[in-house]
Amino acid sequence: MISYLIFVGTIAGFYSLLSLGLVKAWGQGGLVNLGLVGFVGLGAYTSALLSGAGYPIWIDWIAASAVSAAVGVALCFVVRNLRGDYLAIVTLGFAEILRLAETNEKWLTKGSDGISGIVAPLKNHLGDNFAVFYLVLTWVLVGIVAFVLNWLLRSPFGRALRAVRDDEQVAAVAGKSVLRLKLQAFGIGAALSGLGGALYAHFTSYIAPDVFITQLTIYIFLAVTVGGYTRLAGAVIGSLALIALLEATRFVAALVPGLDAVQIASLREFAIAVTLILVMQLRPDGAFRMSNERSGLGASRPGPDACYGKKAVLDDGT
Amino acid sequence: MSNLDRRTFLQAGLGVGGLMLSSSLSRSWAQQGDPIKIGLIIPLTGATSQFGATMGQAAKIAEAEINGAGGVRGRPVQIVIEDDQSNPEAAVRAAHKLIDVDKVVSIGGSYASAVTSAIAPLCWEGKTALLTSSGADSITKLPHQGYIFRTSPTVTLQGTSVGKYAVELGGKRMFFLGPQTPFAQSYIDITSAIFKAAGGSGGGLIYEDKKSSYRSEVDQALKESPDVIVLGGYVPDTSVVLKDLYRAGYTGKKLGFSFGINDALTKAVPAEVSEGAYSLIPSAAENSEAYKRLIGKMGRPSLDSYSCQVYDHVVLTSLALARASSGEANGTAVRDNLRAISAGEGKRTDDAVEALKTVISGAQVNYDGPSGPLEFADNGDVKGVFFRYEQVQAGKLTLRKVG
Repeated sequence: MISYLIFVGTIAGFYSLLSLGLVKAWGQGGLVNLGLVGFVGLGAYTSALLSGAGYPIWIDWIAASAVSAAVGVALCFVVRNLRGDYLAIVTLGFAEILRLAETNEKWLTKGSDGISGIVAPLKNHLGDNFAVFYLVLTWVLVGIVAFVLNWLLRSPFGRALRAVRDDEQVAAVAGKSVLRLKLQAFGIGAALSGLGGALYAHFTSYIAPDVFITQLTIYIFLAVTVGGYTRLAGAVIGSLALIALLEATRFVAALVPGLDAVQIASLREFAIAVTLILVMQLRPDGAFRMSNERSGLGASRPGPDACYGKKAVLDDGT
Repeated sequence: MSNLDRRTFLQAGLGVGGLMLSSSLSRSWAQQGDPIKIGLIIPLTGATSQFGATMGQAAKIAEAEINGAGGVRGRPVQIVIEDDQSNPEAAVRAAHKLIDVDKVVSIGGSYASAVTSAIAPLCWEGKTALLTSSGADSITKLPHQGYIFRTSPTVTLQGTSVGKYAVELGGKRMFFLGPQTPFAQSYIDITSAIFKAAGGSGGGLIYEDKKSSYRSEVDQALKESPDVIVLGGYVPDTSVVLKDLYRAGYTGKKLGFSFGINDALTKAVPAEVSEGAYSLIPSAAENSEAYKRLIGKMGRPSLDSYSCQVYDHVVLTSLALARASSGEANGTAVRDNLRAISAGEGKRTDDAVEALKTVISGAQVNYDGPSGPLEFADNGDVKGVFFRYEQVQAGKLTLRKVG
């Protein structure tokens, strides 16, 4: 049981990293990235291939983040005029393109056979302690990322980003470079997805294109929605709640008598959906609400946000 | 309803988590007399879930038979089923739960090759046997320390059999149509080589699955004017390809594999569309009593080979543990005893209950299940598989040949 909880905790950390990236791009930047899983895959493949070529792990992880960030910035630049639902559709398609490339570029990715035997850091030295080590490593990374993002979002950069999210034209009139802010937000979100993917690849030692399907993107959107989509704490709490829900339904559904295997599996999916509907009904903002963040200059406090509570889930802030 | 504050929300979450923890902790202290748990990771939801339901039912029958005969060394067996959600990431989480919480001795079922490859490292590191019905050749090439047993014939073997049968049917110009899978290119290479060796020609095309029309792929295939088309897809895409072939007026021979052309397909398309299509089905010998008994108990006219394999996964694990001299019920005991009860000079039987009784009496046994003779090579691949060659006639699969 303990080793299972350690494993689930590590996966929760992996989900948290992705959720933090999504809060950065979506909650704070207003950029709906439904192609999140594509960047996870990009990071995972980059890291797995580099480590297969003999590069040390820390270089692989930095490269994974960098490649994902670069591709993310490039994509964001190409679709810079798209917002909201349109951006969501393009990013969704982009993730699918990446998955097809991973499936078909066999010379590089071994196609749908996937890459197995990806080395885990220090696994030979640590033996049985590896699982705990990786759990701590993952959550230390989550902590560092959350700390840096928190600092970034409180800085003038963060305020400018929120201004772009809430009204691009006003931000532009105020002299902010809207495009640059968007590229930065999207790039950081993609980099975190890439890092998460690299972390996952070296943890489970096997990746294939089928791992990186839209289901994972939807899970992360659910986690962030449950936690509160504008808040870093919401990302982490939401990820923990999601993984608890995903895994708890395994045990609870099995206790229902008189069901066959297919019905139990369906009941699990049903329970997840019902829980999320309930959360959205009872607490539409998630566990952590959007908050007005003050400038920190000690000037007069801003009034309540007039748009508060009126935002749709995929609102692009216009 | 905004009076639900954050504290209540978090408390509720913690409560649910605690409940889950306590309910599972109490069950994880396994003792002598407690059931021996056999894990199954099968596709119950998602894109690959066509056979999930019957896989689960077949496993339940095996469980009931073993327990009806007194169980393994006085302990009943209990199957624990987890859904792979047709997704390797979900399958990894399921496998961790089975190995760490349920302490299963083996994991059976695993169907999609990506799922099997993803959970395989967990199994050999956790010293848990993995019995799989996946076909990709790469699986048994993993450094699995003997923990992997594959009851499905490999892609290479299936491709060779289909190619030879197509030549036997008088084909000269073969064209392969199939989705991008780990084995699509292997199928094209293998079948083309067989046709060229027989003086014919071969070609192929790999398409993207999940499309609603394959008209352009079919047109491209028909440009080569093939007299045999090999269909390498699963039911959803194969049914669309067959419809497009029918619309295009193709009259040559069509061959497919059991995961594409089966009862589910004949129900999904009109009889004239599937008419004449051949299917290659890994199987036991023609008059296998084990197969007939299993479909009788399930109340079905026929059963796919994958569900038969899952039935055998449960039986093989139970027999191996019954033979284990140490009396321990763990994955290593399954690994070390599995070959001894499924092959060799012992008494040959295709009845799980009789095999169990023979093993308990201390005699040698050679168990042949509904999925085949179940003899394993050193790398874990199954040997000596029979194939049933069936053909769709008026919407029903009828047997043409066994070999």
